[in-house]
Amino acid sequence: MEMIIGGAFQGKESYAREKYPEIKWKKGTELTEEELFAAEGVLDFQEYVRRCLLEGKELSDFSKRLFQENPDLILVSQEVGYGVVPVDAFDREYREAVGRVCTELAGCSARVTRVVCGIGMVIKGEKC
Amino acid sequence: MLILVTGGSGSGKSAYAEERAVLFPAKRRIYVATMYPYDLESRHRVDRHRRMRWGKDFETVECYTHLDELYLPRDCTVLLECMSNLVANEMFMEGGAGERAEEEILEGIRQLRSQVRDMVIVTNEISSDGCLYERETVRYQEVLGHINQKLARIADEVAEVVYGIPLILKGGRANEEPLEQL
Repeated sequence: MEMIIGGAFQGKESYAREKYPEIKWKKGTELTEEELFAAEGVLDFQEYVRRCLLEGKELSDFSKRLFQENPDLILVSQEVGYGVVPVDAFDREYREAVGRVCTELAGCSARVTRVVCGIGMVIKGEKC
Repeated sequence: MLILVTGGSGSGKSAYAEERAVLFPAKRRIYVATMYPYDLESRHRVDRHRRMRWGKDFETVECYTHLDELYLPRDCTVLLECMSNLVANEMFMEGGAGERAEEEILEGIRQLRSQVRDMVIVTNEISSDGCLYERETVRYQEVLGHINQKLARIADEVAEVVYGIPLILKGGRANEEPLEQL
């Protein structure tokens, strides 16, 4: 598994597409769980987490299952925890859930790249 | 040694801070908890952190305001979590330091630092979402930002934890910068 992360509008998607031009990317805003577990690459993964929360899906063993069933997945996800704690309870839950799930998945990943201003910095694993 | 651990929410800061704190030689480990459990959600949060610390031999001392009134035994390791809560408490809680939050917190850290040998402080990065907030909140971001910078200056090690991965921003070696820099 591999993750490409970073704040909003940092060029994560362009970076990912350039690194892996041959991959078919799916979108976190619309893909189903079945598609996620079979995907090669997913963009906006944080939106998938949001949809899970809205649908009331249990996320406790989600990362483990995802890694077991789709260990070669490449996830592109936005870092969302770098601001003031939101007033809205759902926003708080969402931020926290994205953080927890991504921390678990980063633990499983062979490589984690953080993109700032379009520049990828490998923060875990071998450079590619 | 002083280690400052920062990161966003849900980034794995606490787990990393605990991991580092237990490596210090002192037998006695004191967890200075700053989050005031004012509602169910914060109580859940406190419980989660308690479960994480379970079995690691931390004694918990609650300190919501007035860090400078805390006296701890010399031969212990302190893990203070989290600076963002302490700042909010001092600024907004009844009986807190209000406008003098920054000075009083730094004075508290100065005193703690001169009492105990090894210390890990967890803080929080809350100013990188580009949102514009009300004046009070901006003031809060500013105070926490100042404190973070000052702590980083006297810290031996500063780590930003990103999804459980520590990025070492400063450190490795003992810092010669005197305490008076606070």
